[in-house]
Amino acid sequence: MSKSDIKRQAIIENAYRLFRARGFDGTSMAHITSEVGGSKATLYSHFPSKEELFVECMMAALENYMPDTLKHLDASCSDPEAALRNFGTSVLNFICSPEQVEVRRLMISEAARSGTGRLFFDKISALRSQIASFLTTCMVSGLLRRDDPDLAADHLGALLEAEILEPLLLHVRETAPDEEETALAARRAVAAFLRAYAPTSGRMKALARLNAHVRRLPPHEL
Amino acid sequence: MKTKTESKRQAILQAAAEVFREVGFDRASMSDIRERIGGSKATLYNYFPSKEKLFFEVMHHAKEVELEAITGELNGDASDLKRELVRFGQKFLAVLYSTEAIAVRRLSIAESRHSDIGRLSFEQAVAPIEKQVAEFLRRVMKREALRTADPKIAAMHLLSLLESELLQRVLLGVIDGVKPEAINGAVRRAVDVFLSGYERR
Repeated sequence: MSKSDIKRQAIIENAYRLFRARGFDGTSMAHITSEVGGSKATLYSHFPSKEELFVECMMAALENYMPDTLKHLDASCSDPEAALRNFGTSVLNFICSPEQVEVRRLMISEAARSGTGRLFFDKISALRSQIASFLTTCMVSGLLRRDDPDLAADHLGALLEAEILEPLLLHVRETAPDEEETALAARRAVAAFLRAYAPTSGRMKALARLNAHVRRLPPHEL
Repeated sequence: MKTKTESKRQAILQAAAEVFREVGFDRASMSDIRERIGGSKATLYNYFPSKEKLFFEVMHHAKEVELEAITGELNGDASDLKRELVRFGQKFLAVLYSTEAIAVRRLSIAESRHSDIGRLSFEQAVAPIEKQVAEFLRRVMKREALRTADPKIAAMHLLSLLESELLQRVLLGVIDGVKPEAINGAVRRAVDVFLSGYERR
């Protein structure tokens, strides 16, 4: 890691701690500078505004986590159900952790007020488009029906979060779900998703007819 | 301590609603509200222990009647399932994305660790709707119009699908208010996906 990267990391860690303890308004760039050490100019050379630093702090953990999670979707797509299930479980384990629930609370409570909503939304959209590109692959290879992959990614995300997230955000439930629970939620979400995005029945029937025809062929013609 | 009266409580809610509307939640103070109704600050706090609590009551009551109207859409016999779900979805999102409901939702999430607003919000808004939708889906599954599944889970899937396209944008303040056409499109797509996800094969 370069010296500059180390500095950047130190800024993010300190700012993250301050934002979580004091909120967006209660944290100043001066305060962050005094915690990190160095000059305000250095701070601003890394992050041009408090808004950008705030968004970076809230999203850093998720962005670090996602590459590993997305590897589940990297397969040659032979078993999209298993790929999506593993991906879904991994996402849920992360976003349901107490720290990430708290980060999401802070994002939702501060985004609209501090004018950082657009910055958050762009980052979230970038992550979503990585999921969408996997779904595009599945659509192209005929494993899923053709539709808007961004929309499909929204639907998949919504199904994954449906059972668990809201009670955690509203603090009606305090303990994070264990692996068994997230796996079950992911399985149910993926089952509904795959049924909904299965290739259209016309196409399925065509495939079935083709298969039946192939089965009737004498072995040497295969 | 003086006994609380319903008329005083209503007067406070009325005054608070005006103040919140005029200056917004952040800039509104308990003093502003007290000035409008007169009386002491102690009296005001006796009725409502915090600005957050008062805000929740004001906004929630404004929406309570509408919440009942939403689930009323699900009392039909579901002879045209898609139509009923679309109508329900449209009403649900119209209320959910109203300025008041979004303000309540943000606050409920933001304050959930420090007050009981999150719990109130869950018990008075989220859970009853989930329950009604689940009841409806249970009837539909019994009639074999959808595949057999846990109706509670199916209800959560449906509600989450309805929110999927726009909620994030609205909560983050990327868009300010949602037009009916945008709601209608999102509802149609969500209901289609829900129905094909739960249809009998």
